[in-house]
Amino acid sequence: MDKQETSIWRPRRPWAGFAEAGQIGESREPGITAVTLEGLGFATLIAGTSSEKLERATKRLLGLDLPREPCAALSDTHGLVWSGPDQWLLLARKRTGFSDLLVSLSVDAAVSEQSHGRSALRLSGKRVRDVLAKGSMVDVHQAAFPVGTAALTSFAHIGVQFWRTQDGPDGAAFEILIARSMAGSFWSWLAASAAEFGFCVTIDQA
Amino acid sequence: MSKQPLRLPNGGLVDRARTLSFRFDGKSYDGHAGDTLASALLANGVGLMGRSFKYHRPRGLLSAGPEEPNALVELRAGARREPNTRATMVELFQNLEATSQNRWPSLRFDVLSVNGLAGPALVAGFYYKTFMWPAAFWEKLYEPLIRRAAGLGRAAEFEDPDHYEKAFAFCDVLVIGAGPAGLSAALTAGRSGARVIICDEDFQLGGRLLAERREIDGRAAADWLATTLAELASLSEVRIMPRTSVYGLYDHGIYGAVERVSDHVAVPPPHQPRQRGWRIYAKRAVLAAGALERPIVFAGNDLPGVMLAGAVRAYVNRFAVLPGRKAVIFTSGDSGWATVRDLAEVGAHVAAVVDSRSEIKPEFKSLASRVGARVFAGSVVEATRGGRALRGITVRDASGKRTALACDILAVSNGWNPTLHLTSHQNGKPVWDEEIQAFVPGVLPPGLSVAGSAAGRFTLAEALQDGARLGREAASEAGFAMAAAQPAPTTDAEASELKPIWRVKGRKGKAFVDLQNDVTDKDVELAAREGFRSVEHLKRYTTLGMATDQGKTSNLSGLALMAEQTGKAICDTGTTTFRPPYTPVAIGALAGHHRGKDFRPVRLTPTHDWSREQGAVFLETGQWLRAQYYPKFTDKDWLSTVNREVLATRGGVGICDVSTLGKIDLQGTDAAEFLERVYINAWKTLPIGKARYGLMLREDGFVMDDGTTSRLGENHFLMTTTTINATKVMQHLEFCHQVLWPHLDVRMVSVSEQWAQVAVAGPRSREVLRGIVDAKHDISNEAFPYLAAREISVGGGIPARLFRISFSGELAYELAVPADYGQAMMRALMAAGQAFGITPYGLDAMSVMRIEKGHVIGSELNGQTTVRDLGLAKMMSSKKDFIGRLMAKREALVQSDRPTLVGFKPIDKGKSLSGGAHFVGIRRANKLENDEGYVTSVAYSPNLQHWIGLGFLKNGPARIGERIRAVDLVRNSEVEVEICSPVFFDHEGTRLHG
Repeated sequence: MDKQETSIWRPRRPWAGFAEAGQIGESREPGITAVTLEGLGFATLIAGTSSEKLERATKRLLGLDLPREPCAALSDTHGLVWSGPDQWLLLARKRTGFSDLLVSLSVDAAVSEQSHGRSALRLSGKRVRDVLAKGSMVDVHQAAFPVGTAALTSFAHIGVQFWRTQDGPDGAAFEILIARSMAGSFWSWLAASAAEFGFCVTIDQA
Repeated sequence: MSKQPLRLPNGGLVDRARTLSFRFDGKSYDGHAGDTLASALLANGVGLMGRSFKYHRPRGLLSAGPEEPNALVELRAGARREPNTRATMVELFQNLEATSQNRWPSLRFDVLSVNGLAGPALVAGFYYKTFMWPAAFWEKLYEPLIRRAAGLGRAAEFEDPDHYEKAFAFCDVLVIGAGPAGLSAALTAGRSGARVIICDEDFQLGGRLLAERREIDGRAAADWLATTLAELASLSEVRIMPRTSVYGLYDHGIYGAVERVSDHVAVPPPHQPRQRGWRIYAKRAVLAAGALERPIVFAGNDLPGVMLAGAVRAYVNRFAVLPGRKAVIFTSGDSGWATVRDLAEVGAHVAAVVDSRSEIKPEFKSLASRVGARVFAGSVVEATRGGRALRGITVRDASGKRTALACDILAVSNGWNPTLHLTSHQNGKPVWDEEIQAFVPGVLPPGLSVAGSAAGRFTLAEALQDGARLGREAASEAGFAMAAAQPAPTTDAEASELKPIWRVKGRKGKAFVDLQNDVTDKDVELAAREGFRSVEHLKRYTTLGMATDQGKTSNLSGLALMAEQTGKAICDTGTTTFRPPYTPVAIGALAGHHRGKDFRPVRLTPTHDWSREQGAVFLETGQWLRAQYYPKFTDKDWLSTVNREVLATRGGVGICDVSTLGKIDLQGTDAAEFLERVYINAWKTLPIGKARYGLMLREDGFVMDDGTTSRLGENHFLMTTTTINATKVMQHLEFCHQVLWPHLDVRMVSVSEQWAQVAVAGPRSREVLRGIVDAKHDISNEAFPYLAAREISVGGGIPARLFRISFSGELAYELAVPADYGQAMMRALMAAGQAFGITPYGLDAMSVMRIEKGHVIGSELNGQTTVRDLGLAKMMSSKKDFIGRLMAKREALVQSDRPTLVGFKPIDKGKSLSGGAHFVGIRRANKLENDEGYVTSVAYSPNLQHWIGLGFLKNGPARIGERIRAVDLVRNSEVEVEICSPVFFDHEGTRLHG
């Protein structure tokens, strides 16, 4: 599935036209940082009558167990995020080799690629929880939402899947996925909500 | 600049070093940081703050808190103007601008105050009785007049320029109110490590401690307050939220609160919201909302200068303002005597104390003699004197002897009502406590406990004890281990006996029960006489307890008076129901970010920006924005644009984004079986690589949705749904699988967002596609016939899906690529189609073409039509069962005269048609009995060069060639039309297969 990225067939990333690199709102040291996650691979995996075979496959291919509760199992290159009974979101940090992986997994699961259907962000910073509080009906306190916890909910009337990754140098960090078509409305809410803390935006050039 | 004549030289919690200037009714004044608008006006000697609702009587401050019924002002100006703002709750800021309400031409001289003279006519129920006849006068004359005369403030006439937010908070223990009880609760709970949120509506924390001269642990209460606040601030899991009103209690420990983030500044600082609406999820909560002091009903009790005794203490002690120079105290309990002491402390002259009780405690007697106040035991204040301000009162003693006294402030105390509103929000009924003569919380909502005054335990010692105990309990119940309890702090002595009186009968003159609604004791008597005796009826008949204060100072007096009228006890008279919100909440705080274009999320297709570049006009269809048409400068008008797009497509090739259609990926060994059960037609026979049109019914036999579904593999299908029903169909399929047939091996997920999809339609469409589809894929008519559906690649290896399906009736395809390539696909198609005059078309042109072909959409699949009505009965398989099969056979759904799909066209080809018109026979009257059906879709066909339409007509298919009228009574038009086949164009479908 390698693309010949000629001038006319250049891909347009889901945050294009909404997120721009720079600082929004207060100009002091940013309290929250967003990195757009571009070029990740996503797919829905739905196990058949039994998920044990799928789990053997994910262990073998990715070294990851299937989370059995709302959690994310993450490696440096891949992740499996619980998305419902017998249903997971598979993510790959790079799309290279992703379609081959999907073919391998399709033996043991219904696999539907969603790489282009999601807009993804990493949010971090000292005030990240204060921003999430403006959208999340899920408690993201340290104790209630430890590293690896995942949730399917909605922020600002927009369906959201998010999870907490390892803390970064600026504190707690979360990865957030929304439907691509709603990226503009989501960004409008996020920018308005984060502005008071100083909001630094980085566009992933991947 | 004024000099604040009534400001005390020292004491209080205002910052005299920070002077703030403000304007009231256009006049400039000075106040200090720490003032409210009310205290600053009072400091400047402004006692008259508004006119009353009905009689336009002069009114001043009654209270110093959220219960204020009188001092309502319009705050700010222009787009930020905010009516009915309680001056007692407005934190003073530099350049604050406020205007009094409900007066004309000015506050001091108000023309409508003659309403007061006509008083006897304006009793309860007056409007209902007087303005009944003639009926037409109500709307045209009476209502506008009444609205002008009796009203509160004016809403802003412009859009609110400020931003509002919503936010969610979670805690183990929520403490509502930061007085002594709340602070003790927060501290005890916070020390355990529990997550505590403590909210207070005030900008300064401390509650009554700020207003009283009290001692805790042998030191000034202010010391304890400072220490406690410092320790709370040091606890990392404690969140202190001043300026935050918890206004509602909801199911499962959810509380509504509004934080006034920027109300204390003229304009919100950059990036700050004006207000923030909070939804707080609390495992446990402690209500420590304190209590509200009660007034007494007596003649002239509404004159500016008649004030609650606790409010007088608040102005003196907290705001360092002397509300008057010569005071009289009128009390029925011990609490009023604290005002004597505090006024004397700051050098005010207390002329007299009128205590309705005949026994006066020795310590009060000695206090009175120390300050030189006359004591009237067993006496009442019978009347007041004064015009726009209090000048004096008449005291009547037990023997009936009257004494006139001069005074400019009358401090009234009649005991306190626990602020128990939140305990009632889940239908909890307050219960009457005979000892304190007040309602106290009854059965409490789960997870809530009540501390201190809010529970009817009014002394400071009780507040501190309750707070510590309940804070501890709450944290412990939320799972936190507690250290050994420490004894609660000690306090100075406090007398709190009470024998309330509800009204003083006697003199002429209005005695007000509800100051905000101008309800007098006479109105309550009238309501009782006329049979409105239930408290709910009393409220609605007299308006007692309505409007912004919701009767915080009047409900109990009203009940007591009604009890007196009906000879019942207060507890048997009942209470009205308290509902959220406790105090008014701006709609903005509930809407948060979601207004204007952010009212709800907007969905944009992957080709949106490209369409915008092409100058598209967009249409909202559900949440989606879709290109409606692409005007060019050379187009005369909208219709010429649409005609151009249609003719270009039928004559060459056009492209139209169809990404919004729902796309559901279905996999599993039973996927085909599953489709058999949800669709009316056959699916197991569909070959791999082919698409088929499908219709699904609701359980009740009506059509739910349609679309094409393609077989991508033996066990792999891709279903499409209409844009509008995408979510509904997904839910339906999930329901069918999870509930009806869980044993079927079928797995489904929406892939709508993954793909950008475009319709490429017109006789040259294949040639255009040939230019972008990778050469290895044969898309010739033979290799890729009508209804072929295959995975291909474009642009040199980009995976894509190509479907040969047609909504326009032309040779047409739908091409899908991963969404990142959506925009590129449009550019590539435009480049490849340039030689063929490729034209982007929008929803309107699509609609014209589908009407020309008689294809149905949501207008026809409107939830009231059956497969038979649509003329598609032959699609229903008789060889299998499917959802809706039996119910579709119901007698009424198969009657031959049911309106059935037909086409129609005007006899006079120059006439236009209108959607929504009804079919009525020629020379028949336009009556319901003659209604024979209705029009669902109309369009101007540039190919036929006249208007065409689709509709449902009784026994329609049998009436082709018949003439009938399309009557539109809404738009007042009627057109004679000829019934015809719904297919207007290319009947044989030859273009489709071209």
